[in-house]
Amino acid sequence: MHSIWLIARREYLERVRTKAFIVSTILIPLLLGGGFAFSILKGGRAKSAAHIAVVSADHQLALDLQDELSSGKHSQMTVEVLNDGPTTRKTLDGELASGDLNAYLWVTPADAPGGRPTFSFTTGSKADVLTQGTVESALRTVLIREQLNHRGMVAHDVDALLQPIALDTSQQGKHASGIAAYVGVVVMFLLMYMVVMLYGMNVARSIIEEKTSRVFEVLLSTITAEQMLAGKILGVGAVGLTQILIWLTTAVVLGSSSLAAAITGSGAQVSLSFKQVIFFILYFIFGYLLYSSIAAALGAMVNAEQELQQLNMFLVMPLAACMFALTPVVTNPDSTFARIMSLIPFCSPLIMYLRISMGHPQAWEIALSFVLMTITIYAILWVASRIYRVGVLMYGKRPNLPEILRWLKYS
Amino acid sequence: MPIVELQQVRKVYDTKVAVDNISFTIEPGTMFGLLGPNGSGKTSSIRMMIGITVPDSGSVSLFNKPFERASLKRVGYLPEERGLYKKMKVMDQLIFLGQLHGLDAITASKRAHAWCERMQITEAIPKKTEELSKGMQQKIQFIAALLHDPDLIIMDEPFSGLDPVNATLLQDTLIELRQQGKAVLFSTHRMDQVERMCDSICLISNGRVVLSGAMREIKSRYPVNRVHMTYTGDEAFLHHQVVASVKHYNGHAEIILRDSPDTAGEAQVLLAEAVARGTRISKFELMEPTLEEIFIEKVGGNHADFDLSSRPATVAAGDTLNA
Repeated sequence: MHSIWLIARREYLERVRTKAFIVSTILIPLLLGGGFAFSILKGGRAKSAAHIAVVSADHQLALDLQDELSSGKHSQMTVEVLNDGPTTRKTLDGELASGDLNAYLWVTPADAPGGRPTFSFTTGSKADVLTQGTVESALRTVLIREQLNHRGMVAHDVDALLQPIALDTSQQGKHASGIAAYVGVVVMFLLMYMVVMLYGMNVARSIIEEKTSRVFEVLLSTITAEQMLAGKILGVGAVGLTQILIWLTTAVVLGSSSLAAAITGSGAQVSLSFKQVIFFILYFIFGYLLYSSIAAALGAMVNAEQELQQLNMFLVMPLAACMFALTPVVTNPDSTFARIMSLIPFCSPLIMYLRISMGHPQAWEIALSFVLMTITIYAILWVASRIYRVGVLMYGKRPNLPEILRWLKYS
Repeated sequence: MPIVELQQVRKVYDTKVAVDNISFTIEPGTMFGLLGPNGSGKTSSIRMMIGITVPDSGSVSLFNKPFERASLKRVGYLPEERGLYKKMKVMDQLIFLGQLHGLDAITASKRAHAWCERMQITEAIPKKTEELSKGMQQKIQFIAALLHDPDLIIMDEPFSGLDPVNATLLQDTLIELRQQGKAVLFSTHRMDQVERMCDSICLISNGRVVLSGAMREIKSRYPVNRVHMTYTGDEAFLHHQVVASVKHYNGHAEIILRDSPDTAGEAQVLLAEAVARGTRISKFELMEPTLEEIFIEKVGGNHADFDLSSRPATVAAGDTLNA
């Protein structure tokens, strides 16, 4: 035990003293939080400023549309109204190609009177979803308004009808607005992803460093490989925990004082509940143990960091799968898909944590996720410690799979 | 009471037999040379001695007890590939390694300072290891192996890469430790050092012991038929019939006498011949083959990867005359 403590302490002290630790402690939340605040600010106010043309025989419709698009709530487009002429389409295509025009809308009048005209929308770049969406909703508004006017409704009443609805999403016990809660959860999700990844990789790097500098030989002459592995994982993990505690404390302090809201000015204040903090720490510990054990085995197998890059996928792939699951789980945190994902030990730290923050997982589900993770960690550690014990003394070429399987049998 | 006892130790990696039934003992207060070409199984043997690996068969005893990890607190190990944390400060590093060997931080620090003074590297104490020269790092490693005052000191190539002044400093330290009753095992390619320092040796090749025993006893197995002489003047005496072969360098000759029941008498004849021709002689020594010659005889012929680079360069430059 004493040896494990010594190894862990050295690892901890050497790491906490580095500039990299201080920089990442400050920078990671700044980048994550800043990036999110930025995207919300941009996303909330995004307005299309495209330059489009409307070709329509129905002049009134075209003018209404121009009015809606150029001064509407979500758009500041420049809209030209054109009449259908023999060369119009050609001219417009030319302008589209040269980039003078972003898109044009071609309105073909309805065959029967009272029917809907057909619309064709041609854009210069397919990716401009924003413009397309804006034009669509503007068209709908204009058409509905026209129809209602036809049926004798006063313009004032029509506008009142078309008012967007404000939905109050505040939940019981959670005073943050829906968008703020969402931001908080996603930031924590990304943070968890980053720390699990970062500290897993740190374990691998630290093993490679000891391997290339051959410190192993000296250490192994007094302590066992298992003690070294345990000390290293504990030491690096303690560094991660320290960093997380600094972040969470800061977040709680800032969140409660509404300072964050004042700084970002977006009203998107990140508030954390006590439950979120506790489970973040718990899931970090388990996630870190899981991924750092894999990383330890990878580190012991290779001789240089470049070689590690090639094996990285074993670490990245399960985590990346969680990233892809983010959207479906966020939209419906208690769906069958989310429930299954959250119980896979490699995904639990991210997905179950997400569900705890956003959905309503059963207590037994949470307990089961910890049980499954514990079993998996134990199994991985068993394999990793064997690979580690043999791997750290092997230099030269990287072992292939049959060789690694043989290592498991060595005493 | 032997400090180390290996009995019929064998270790196989996959299909390669790294160590094949090796046995030897190391007594306290002696210096033991573990010799052999590269890849002959020296490091594998040492690793089993200190529990880094476990033998497939045979037994290892340390301090007269079957191997147990607790014994390792009494062993100091300097590996062939030097290993220190590059980014760590020298003193932190020494204290850390000392603590791993069971010292408390204060004792470790005190001893580390004393050793740094003795090794003349006090100026390195506040620095990071990566800032030090290779020789200095080697001394740090040397200190790390001795900090906990081990009774068994295992040094794999302790003098490689050191200048003569520092090599002598380390050598004298090891000799002093032997006088204090410690057992020192060291492996090296430098046969002159082994010959000067070791009380007994074990020479292994391809994982097998080819020669082992006390240095004097091994030497006595060989005839005293070598003459080393230094001279100026006429060299014609080297063609005398008692000379079987000779390597000669500028004013120095290493002669092998022809087989004879009375090599001492033949040497006398050679000396008389030289004196008669007016050659001025400043050294004339009759001796057994050097350890280097024995080494090459035992393993040189069938070993392609024998490390020539660590032999003194002058030998390679010499030419052979046949009388």
